[in-house]
Amino acid sequence: MDSKLVERLKKIVGAEHVFDKYEDRYCYTYDASFITVGKNEVPELIVYPGNKEEVAAVLMLANEHKIPIIPRGAGSNVSGGTISRNDAIVMVLTRMNKIINIDRKNMIAELEPGVITADFQTQVEKLGLFYPPDPASKAFSTMGGNVAECAGGPRGAKYGVTRDYILGLEVVLANGQILNVGARTMKSVAGYDLTRLFVGSEGTLCIITKIIVKLLPLPEAKKTMLAIFDDLYKASETVAQVFMAGIIPTTLELLDNIYIKSIEDYVKIGLPVDAEAVLLIEVDGDAAVLDKQIGIISKICKDQGAREVKVAQNEKEAEDLWVARRSAFAAVSRVRPTIIGEDCTVPRDKIPEVVKKVREISAKYDVIIAVLGHAGDGNLHATILTDERDHEEMARVEKAIEEIFIATLEAKGTLTGEHGVGRAKGKYLHLEVGKEGIDLMKALKRTMDPNNILNPGQMLGE
Amino acid sequence: MQWEELEKEAIRCIKCGACQTVCPIFKELEAESTVARGKVNLIKAVIRGDVEPNENFSERMSWCLACKACVENCPSGVKVDQLVIGARQKLVEDKGLPFLKRMIFRIGLRNRRLFDFGLGMGSVFQNLLFRPAANGQGMLPRLPMGLDKRRVLTPLAAKNFTSRCSEINTTLPEEKTVAFFTGCMINYVYPEIGDAVLKLLKNNGSSVIVPKNQHCCGTPAYINGDLSTAKELAKATVDTFCDLEVDKIITACGSCGLALRNEYFEILSDELGYKEKVERIAEKTMDIAEYLAQKGLQGELSQVNKEVTYHESCHLGRGLKVRKQPRDLMKSVPGVNLQEMKDPGRCCGAAGSFSLSHYDLSMKINKYKTDDIVNTGAQVLVTGCAACMMHIKDGLNQGDNSQIKVMHTAELLAEAYKKDK
Repeated sequence: MDSKLVERLKKIVGAEHVFDKYEDRYCYTYDASFITVGKNEVPELIVYPGNKEEVAAVLMLANEHKIPIIPRGAGSNVSGGTISRNDAIVMVLTRMNKIINIDRKNMIAELEPGVITADFQTQVEKLGLFYPPDPASKAFSTMGGNVAECAGGPRGAKYGVTRDYILGLEVVLANGQILNVGARTMKSVAGYDLTRLFVGSEGTLCIITKIIVKLLPLPEAKKTMLAIFDDLYKASETVAQVFMAGIIPTTLELLDNIYIKSIEDYVKIGLPVDAEAVLLIEVDGDAAVLDKQIGIISKICKDQGAREVKVAQNEKEAEDLWVARRSAFAAVSRVRPTIIGEDCTVPRDKIPEVVKKVREISAKYDVIIAVLGHAGDGNLHATILTDERDHEEMARVEKAIEEIFIATLEAKGTLTGEHGVGRAKGKYLHLEVGKEGIDLMKALKRTMDPNNILNPGQMLGE
Repeated sequence: MQWEELEKEAIRCIKCGACQTVCPIFKELEAESTVARGKVNLIKAVIRGDVEPNENFSERMSWCLACKACVENCPSGVKVDQLVIGARQKLVEDKGLPFLKRMIFRIGLRNRRLFDFGLGMGSVFQNLLFRPAANGQGMLPRLPMGLDKRRVLTPLAAKNFTSRCSEINTTLPEEKTVAFFTGCMINYVYPEIGDAVLKLLKNNGSSVIVPKNQHCCGTPAYINGDLSTAKELAKATVDTFCDLEVDKIITACGSCGLALRNEYFEILSDELGYKEKVERIAEKTMDIAEYLAQKGLQGELSQVNKEVTYHESCHLGRGLKVRKQPRDLMKSVPGVNLQEMKDPGRCCGAAGSFSLSHYDLSMKINKYKTDDIVNTGAQVLVTGCAACMMHIKDGLNQGDNSQIKVMHTAELLAEAYKKDK
């Protein structure tokens, strides 16, 4: 990169917040996805702006020189959404990490994009408030990243995803213009819903510099239970049954036998390794009604053929049950070195047939595919356990993934429930949104970012 | 050694980024290359041929405290510290050690007598080079000599611990016989901790052997990638201790304990005839707090009226998993009131020679620790590691908090016993 330009960027954000050494730049060629581009796509420069004015100044300069900007938070996305390219500047927003205010009367909060999700949750919970979205990476993911990817999480079944809590945003557009969208009120129909457009835009339309979120009252209590099944199909059929009984669990997680065995192998907590599936179910709300709800769910599970139902009697027992879920990823990563977590999502009633289909695909291509679903919201999380160094196997993995996509769409589902399109699914997007959908998205992108500097190559593949 | 040997462990990193929440270095330096994920991926890049193992790479490998915070927090359990140490070994193999470290490890540490003599002479002449700091909390360098002039150091002891105490210290009634591995910091800088350990062991029914010809455990050399020196020191330690007829080998420093219990397996993995000896040593090694906590403090305990807070040294806490025992022991002493600090397991930034080569960075990390200590309102900071003690004292002193005393767990506990026995 032209040294004059580098100097100007250093002036804007401060020299200590610019990294130009090759070894430092190299470390932005990956994120938490399975994609790594390596030495051919090492970005030109890394900048860490400290406020919206700096973000705007960098964008203005980049736009003028047509330099791609790749926005990044904690780099914890799993869609390749922050993978670098060799002509780009990576803009990391972690310095902008202040919670501006938490407004108890209006139950809203304003914060900067670099705030860590779990830190924010801890702060609001101290005040008896609740920000539900809980991506698995919440302990280190940034709120800006969560908004850009529209992150979900296990609580989605009851509480929805990031999108459902974003009232408004302050963003910087490709030309450096600072724009406020949305409102501080629960209702607002003033013009097109640009807030919704920006949430989940994966850094391709704007840089988020401020977030206004809606909060809920913190539920009084939780209750957790585990149901063990000898039949995966029966377990997955149970999911819809629970909802049909009029109960919306906070989380309803489905773990298959591969997960059960790996977890038991790893943490030894007494899971039955011969079981075909377990459902981990949590309800929350008014303490008085939870026992009743758990009672109904237990009965449904037993009626569906559950071998055993364990209800946690206290917080300690609940915690023990959650250990299984939390150690799941670590457990399977000990089986094979490369883990590809898919997030195809289907309507709840289609879970049994798609789970069955995934099993068939796994056998057909001889690849290990485990299922750990946020089944309550139909989010399947087929997990492919493989080894990136084995090219022959990786070719089979790719075919298996394609077939899972097709099965998902046939079941009227979506290719990505919460991870985003990024680099990983760009080429499949047309299967879901059609040519017309792609054309409209491209037209929008060109209008808002005529020089195509914001995260080019992501999502729409250009 | 070849870079490829690190690949098996390195590819286990799933790049999730969880290490970002816990890495103290990353909190200061903010670049991805400074967090565990970055370092592991730089190592992978070297293996792949994408990055040269040059000065810049070497500098990034030096930015690790080996505090194990990332290892404990890693969902896939990647041994990041082992990978960084592996990279440092390969760099030392190919390019050698920097001058100061070469002098200390290769010439100083490898020669116990010279080391004894050098540090003994040092204790005589140090007053020429250092001036006393406030509240009797150590000394400050008078001249710039590779040490930061703000830095408060604890003077070298006039006489090192092993030469001033007897080799065999019996107690009656004798329940157990143990050997005491002092480690360098206790032997040369804080012999009073050694006294306290002896007093505690004897008051708790153990006769103590303190082998005179014991030397450094090898950790400083190992962590810095000087495997050949580490091997020599590890072998000397194993040879000195493995045939002693003792029930346990007691350490009072997390890093020494970790070396004897875990790291010797790694360091001496390809040394013929050492496997069984290393196993024997590992099995017997126990930290002083761990040892005493098995039965709780025996005998009559007098009142020790102190408000204390406890810092978990990285290698004692995350390394040896000794966390509960020191706290239980302290709470069993009448009058001791333990106030937990915010994040007792956060690294104090000392990390042995890291604080020598990266003083400013290590003091920035230290600031979190001293702030947490001050916020508890405690009068005394207790910890189980002498290197942490020195660094925390330095930080407290520079922050005008020298009224807070810094003690080893053994020193506090020993105050509960009137007699030496």
